[in-house]
Amino acid sequence: MSLRRRGVVVVAASVLLLGGCSSGSDGAGPAPSAGGKVTIDWWHIGTTEPNKTIYDGWVKAYQAKNPNVTIKVTALENDAFKSKMATVTTAASAPDIFSTWGGGVLKQQLDAEIVKDLGDPKAIADFTSAALAAYQIDGKTYGVPIDVGMVGFWYNKKLFEKAGVSEPPTTWAGFIDTVKKLKAAGVTPIALAGKEKWPGHYYWTYLAMRIGGLDALKQAATTHDFTGPDFVAAGQKLKELSDLDPYQKGFLNAAYSSPDGQAASVGSGKAAMELMGQWAPAVQKDAGGGIGEDLGFFPFPSVEGGKGTATEALGGGNGFAVSADAPAEAVDFLKFITQMDNQKQFVESGAGLPAVKGAEEAIKDANLKTVAGTLAGATGFQLYLDQAYPPAVGQEINDSVAGLIAGSKTPEQVASSITETAKAEG
Amino acid sequence: MSSSRRRPAGPSRARGISLHMLAGTLALFVLIPLLFGLIGGFKDNAQLSSNPFGLPAPWHPENYTEVLASASFWRQVGNSVLIALSTTVLVVALSAMAAFAFARFAFRGREVLFTIFTAGLMFPFAVAILPLFVLMRTFGLLDNPLGVILVQAAFGLPMTIIILRGFFAGIPREVEEAAVIDGCTPFGVFWRVLLPMARPALATVSVLAIVASWNNFFLPLAVFNNPDWWTIPLGVQQFQGQYSTDIARTLAYVVLAMVPALAFYAVAERHLISGLTAGATKG
Amino acid sequence: MTHPALTERPEKRPRAAAPPARGLPPAAIRRRRRLKGLATVALFVLPALVLYGLLVLAPIAIAAYTSMFRWNGLGGWPEDFIGFDNFTRLFASDVFHGDLRNGLLIVVLSLVIQLPLALGLALLLNQRMRGRAVYRLLFFAPYVLSEVITGVLFSLILSPEIGLANQILRAVGLEELERAWLADPTTVMPALFAVMTWKYFGFYMILFLAGRQGIPRELGEAASIDGAGTWQQFRHVTLPLLGPTIRIAAFLSVIGTIQLFDLVWVLTGGGPDHASETMAVTMFQFGFKRTQIGYASAISVVMFVLSMIFALAYLRFVMRRDTQGAVTTMGDHR
Repeated sequence: MSLRRRGVVVVAASVLLLGGCSSGSDGAGPAPSAGGKVTIDWWHIGTTEPNKTIYDGWVKAYQAKNPNVTIKVTALENDAFKSKMATVTTAASAPDIFSTWGGGVLKQQLDAEIVKDLGDPKAIADFTSAALAAYQIDGKTYGVPIDVGMVGFWYNKKLFEKAGVSEPPTTWAGFIDTVKKLKAAGVTPIALAGKEKWPGHYYWTYLAMRIGGLDALKQAATTHDFTGPDFVAAGQKLKELSDLDPYQKGFLNAAYSSPDGQAASVGSGKAAMELMGQWAPAVQKDAGGGIGEDLGFFPFPSVEGGKGTATEALGGGNGFAVSADAPAEAVDFLKFITQMDNQKQFVESGAGLPAVKGAEEAIKDANLKTVAGTLAGATGFQLYLDQAYPPAVGQEINDSVAGLIAGSKTPEQVASSITETAKAEG
Repeated sequence: MSSSRRRPAGPSRARGISLHMLAGTLALFVLIPLLFGLIGGFKDNAQLSSNPFGLPAPWHPENYTEVLASASFWRQVGNSVLIALSTTVLVVALSAMAAFAFARFAFRGREVLFTIFTAGLMFPFAVAILPLFVLMRTFGLLDNPLGVILVQAAFGLPMTIIILRGFFAGIPREVEEAAVIDGCTPFGVFWRVLLPMARPALATVSVLAIVASWNNFFLPLAVFNNPDWWTIPLGVQQFQGQYSTDIARTLAYVVLAMVPALAFYAVAERHLISGLTAGATKG
Repeated sequence: MTHPALTERPEKRPRAAAPPARGLPPAAIRRRRRLKGLATVALFVLPALVLYGLLVLAPIAIAAYTSMFRWNGLGGWPEDFIGFDNFTRLFASDVFHGDLRNGLLIVVLSLVIQLPLALGLALLLNQRMRGRAVYRLLFFAPYVLSEVITGVLFSLILSPEIGLANQILRAVGLEELERAWLADPTTVMPALFAVMTWKYFGFYMILFLAGRQGIPRELGEAASIDGAGTWQQFRHVTLPLLGPTIRIAAFLSVIGTIQLFDLVWVLTGGGPDHASETMAVTMFQFGFKRTQIGYASAISVVMFVLSMIFALAYLRFVMRRDTQGAVTTMGDHR
């Protein structure tokens, strides 16, 4: 009988063992580099063209050059990536290479001890200091940029003409006027991805920058107080815009890059503009076909009487961080993808703007040249707020601004709920 | 069912037709989404908007064949199978032993203990997800299938124990008394006598455990970051995000992901239904 | 060798079956027996109990503990004790109020629409009709599919431009009924409920079918001999006898609603603007996206307390008669 009993124990134990077989390279500690087989997990958000093809091409090229290295790619859609990374950070086990935008989110990842100090960034590539800044914390570099750029309005010149708007607006009053004219002409003025929330926070942040100035945001980051009149005023301006009902039908559940999402609405000529970063033309083309020559760019207008100027830019770039226990090949791969020919290929495709000195000449697209020019002449720079602040605060900004746009929150409520979260969690 | 045969012959024809109309309408309500997925998977995106109702012209089987040719799809199927089977073996083994004790031994605190187990039926699984995440992190079981298997088995215990206890209690005592007189230990009685007799009940609870594990999303979502371990539901969600611009391909993936569950249902329908009704009424 | 504990009625066991314990006083034999019996019981019950205690009971205690801290989940265990602050913030939060409203709405809709529909169908399929088995198989099929697959499928069906729902409306000339179903705060809950009905009504139908088949046909026949019409038969015979099944179905429906997550997460993520958010979705957002684990734990605790209060109250006041019945049947093998 005891034999039988032992039999059950063995069965149970073998079940446990069966499940316990090794789980890939995660958490395995630094792997030996010399000649041994190495697998690198690479998570990125390049789910749309041209990034998809370029990234896959880099992987193939690198593996051909380094036959002992296998790069396993996981492409996650932006929003899914951000939630997954939050889990990964809490779990303290990150993939070897992963997308990052720097700022407070990267800082939290550093606190969780999942990112590697990359040492001297010059040893990887000659990055522009503007591009690199977001990834540097206390003088150390924890990520490298693949591109850098800014957020601004991407607009359809034909639709603007149709509404009788000859020049893009430079002031908020002019902008509101433009929206009204577009509506009167039967054109959807603005495309917005309400489901994902981060595109909406650009409006509120830019308005806060224009009204309160960059210093107001810097100050609020330390005092955790967003209830000042300038922040409320930013909300009021955004409410004034949203009250015009300028967004596309169904925007509240629209994603950014899906076939009926924000980028596709502009890219298929259905909506007249979107407020988006330097990658906008590429995604418009991939998701909605693109509008080619009709696409134009203008910076976020200034607000009358505000402390900020129209030359201050909200933006950031896409970058990559390396996990604390990644093999040395992971850094080597970053070196590979930021070397001049690869950076030029990236820039030429229109996927983004160069983060490495000397790659500027590869910018083909006239609009991207404008963006690069505007960025070069910028008098101040603010990283996307949902990345600049810790996740709890950044997500609350996204969320409450989304509530404002949807009409369920007042400007005062936005200011106070951000403040409450910043004070409680900051 | 036998009762209906005893009904006096023939309700009126009109009534029969109206019954069919009603049932047929509901059948369409159930079927149309499934057919939309199946047929849509053979279209391309342009056809999906220009020709939503007709058959594909031309057919695009590559949506399906490309998914079937992808290693990640099969990897997810494999993970789902491994996790479902391990969970089932574990939960059924542990529950059968506990249920046997609950059904056949008199011991102090038995009913209290049993009530503690049954109370588990009322714990929403979602309540435990965060602390489980923290626990799994402490045990180093994140990105490890054990992290999912053990938890699923633990949450499957209440239902399985209840069903099996009921079944064991229904087995006439005389059967095992004979075995006891023949010199069997309690374990011998359990292993040689009761377990073989309980085969139908074991099948039922196994089917329940497999279906619950196969469809679980919340737990693997929290435990698995490494795509190597993703199960089918995680894969489906990730695929939709990654190919958000390619709806036809997403449909094909969804349809293929349905196949194992529907095939299993076709085979094990009887066990599944008897298990669910027994679990619900006894719980 | 015989084991004395192997019975529920030790006093009725034939003493002769016990092994002759030579040279020991009877009390010692009994004690040894009891210990041995306890050891055997422990052997059978402990593995399940350990797993259950560690992974079902302990997490609830941990959630109660971490809900008292401000904690972003990094590092080991939380340190910044803040008492009930997380709960005060939670109870004051509009999102949480919305969660409660949404949960209540789903429960009410389920009780008013989903369960009666399932009950009607069960009675229908209990009739003699051709293809009954096929219908039953079909109606139950969605229950087998995972929530994620259902969610992805329906998010495509309900999408505004290319979705099947709007295309059907267009095809039959009802353009004015077209909606951005999942994007409109006024339609998202009905749309979500429709998907839930698609997925779950077959399950309740099966429950009712089982309950209906437990009712002896003779009762109905007797009633019809007494001159009761179909409705009266239903009202006065079938419905009361289905009472226990209906009460259990309602119970399952409420407990299921309290932890509703997968379907909502995939369909809407809780949007637009929290209009379809549930407690579990809010908890996931805060726990796994904003890394506010302390605050999210407070949501877990509230979910737990709500389900416990509901379950106990329901057992005490609604299912009292049913459980009494269950206890007496259990008593049979006591």
